[in-house]
Amino acid sequence: MAGIEFKDMLKQWGDVIGVNHLSLQVPDKEFLVLVGPSGCGKSTALRCLAGLEEISGGEIWIGDRMVNDIPPKDRDIAMVFQSYALYPHMSVYDNMAFGLKLRKTPKDEIDRRVQEAASVLQIQNLLDRKPKAMSGGQRQRVAMGRAIVRNPAVFLFDEPLSNLDAKLRVETRAQISKLHQRLGTTFVYVTHDQVEALTMADRICVLKLGLLQQVDSPSNLYNHPVNVFVAGFIGSPSMNFFSGTITGDTNEMYADSGSVRLRLPQYQIEQLGQKSVGRKIIFGMRPEDIHHPQYKPTSFNEQLVEATVDVTELMGNEIFVYLQASEHTLIARVDPRADMRPGDKVKMAFNSDKIHIFDQETEKTLSKIKA
Amino acid sequence: MTTHPPTMTKSTAMEGPKTKPISTTRILLYVFIIGFTLVYMAPFFGAIITSLRTQDDITLNGFWSIPTAITFENYPRAWEQGNVNRYLLNSFIITIPALIGTIFLSSLSAFALARYKFPGNQLIYFIYVAGTMLPFQILILPIFLLSNATGLYNTYWSLIVTHVAFQMGFCTFVLRNFMKTLPGEIMDAARIDGASEWGIYWKIVMPLTVPGIAAVATLEFTWIFNDYLWALMLIQDDSLKPVTAGLSTLQGQFITNWPMIVAGALLAALPTLIVFFALQRYFIGGLTLGSGK
Repeated sequence: MAGIEFKDMLKQWGDVIGVNHLSLQVPDKEFLVLVGPSGCGKSTALRCLAGLEEISGGEIWIGDRMVNDIPPKDRDIAMVFQSYALYPHMSVYDNMAFGLKLRKTPKDEIDRRVQEAASVLQIQNLLDRKPKAMSGGQRQRVAMGRAIVRNPAVFLFDEPLSNLDAKLRVETRAQISKLHQRLGTTFVYVTHDQVEALTMADRICVLKLGLLQQVDSPSNLYNHPVNVFVAGFIGSPSMNFFSGTITGDTNEMYADSGSVRLRLPQYQIEQLGQKSVGRKIIFGMRPEDIHHPQYKPTSFNEQLVEATVDVTELMGNEIFVYLQASEHTLIARVDPRADMRPGDKVKMAFNSDKIHIFDQETEKTLSKIKA
Repeated sequence: MTTHPPTMTKSTAMEGPKTKPISTTRILLYVFIIGFTLVYMAPFFGAIITSLRTQDDITLNGFWSIPTAITFENYPRAWEQGNVNRYLLNSFIITIPALIGTIFLSSLSAFALARYKFPGNQLIYFIYVAGTMLPFQILILPIFLLSNATGLYNTYWSLIVTHVAFQMGFCTFVLRNFMKTLPGEIMDAARIDGASEWGIYWKIVMPLTVPGIAAVATLEFTWIFNDYLWALMLIQDDSLKPVTAGLSTLQGQFITNWPMIVAGALLAALPTLIVFFALQRYFIGGLTLGSGK
């Protein structure tokens, strides 16, 4: 059991910066997900935490020890890799027992722990197999088993689901969450898939080009992104953005892109203040806050924007509609009963309580919407 | 080198059963292949036939003639009187330690060159590769002097050490490239599991390099076992000579007895043939299949 702390951690290779002065605290037993597009430094941060990469500056703490100079094997961690990294020449049993044997654990203790982990992961019948005689999902479970038997203070996962097919990925996702509840250990999990992040994490840490963008609970991250990047990265399909200006006066303010003009609710006017009029902004609206005029919530602060339907994608429980509103391309998630065809002109109902407003220059949020 | 045979099997497998009539090019191709094989194998068949004839028969009728009688007694004679038994033993005493030394040392250097980043890594690798391209004939004199100065001249060790030194470049080159193909995450996993760097080399990398090692070991065994030049240069004492150099002493003593010398030469060729056939399956490598997705 141990918490983790990155204190101003820097990792660079020559001029290339992998992780840029990361400061982050992970309390004991938390499930933290590091997420970001490829090349954002999330895997590098994890490898630094594991001790597989030497850091260029700052400190890393696991529990009450600074681990900067402690080799991976003494950091009390276990790691699951994207490629699983099973030892191909060893049976499943030996793969799982390898770390314990190296630590001179007594034989019957090894056997007990391997059997226990195997039963948790339901791989008892595979213990004699070699990795190449197993499916991807089975290998993935063995890789987790190898981590579990070690009973570490911290579990590290480096995109462990990326090589699985979609169905198996969903199943394994739930299995990892269950494992976290059962073990009550700190998990640090790296993924590029924001769905994995939202579904599994206690807290999500979003990285971009080595820089920490935001750390927060999944719902806060979704509802209150601190900048345009986080707003666009979290959520699928992603948020619709418009660049424009704040127009109006003290009583009525608008987020105005020229062709799309949305009246801001009173609470946002209060947050923005009088001096915001004329400010260059980017404003955003999530696809689920754009409704079909017939199928919409009973009472909400709606504003109609005319758009032309480009493409529709039926998802079963909803329809993704790609729309063109003058120069803007939009995505909306609408009720599946809505009958929309390419070429139709529809007045879409925007929920103006949910306008995300960012500064155009800094791309930072200017107001906090009502969740 | 290790990938060659699988490619061959794949291509033949893809052709499958006969689908089109035999073309003239194909016939010409077969004629060429068979003809070439016959020419290539002719000395070998000649050697077998010669080893089964008597000296009188050869003296009367020449080498390329129909044998008048077949005899197997040249083999035991070469083995006992020709000292081939002693020479073969010497060959093994030299080849086996040289082989083990070459594989062990070059696998260590290959591991370091393949898996660690350090200044000069590329340079050392290039020196290894460049070293293998040096014609060894120009080194005969320096090595002869060196073996004299170190007191190794005319001992088994002179040959063992020389072979290890000369073969390391090629072995390191092959094994380094083989080890480069092993997924790095396996080594990271072992590192986290608690393996020392030596443990990673010995328990993870070496078992996974077996196909590569088997491939170079087969070649190296053949090269070291069949070496004639260094044995001639560095060993004076007949009782220490390996079979290659030993056979040439037979020529002096029994200048006329060709069947016996040829029988001895065929006996000397047996170990390399056996090694080659025994280890051939390792050429079709691929132990790492299954480590990833």
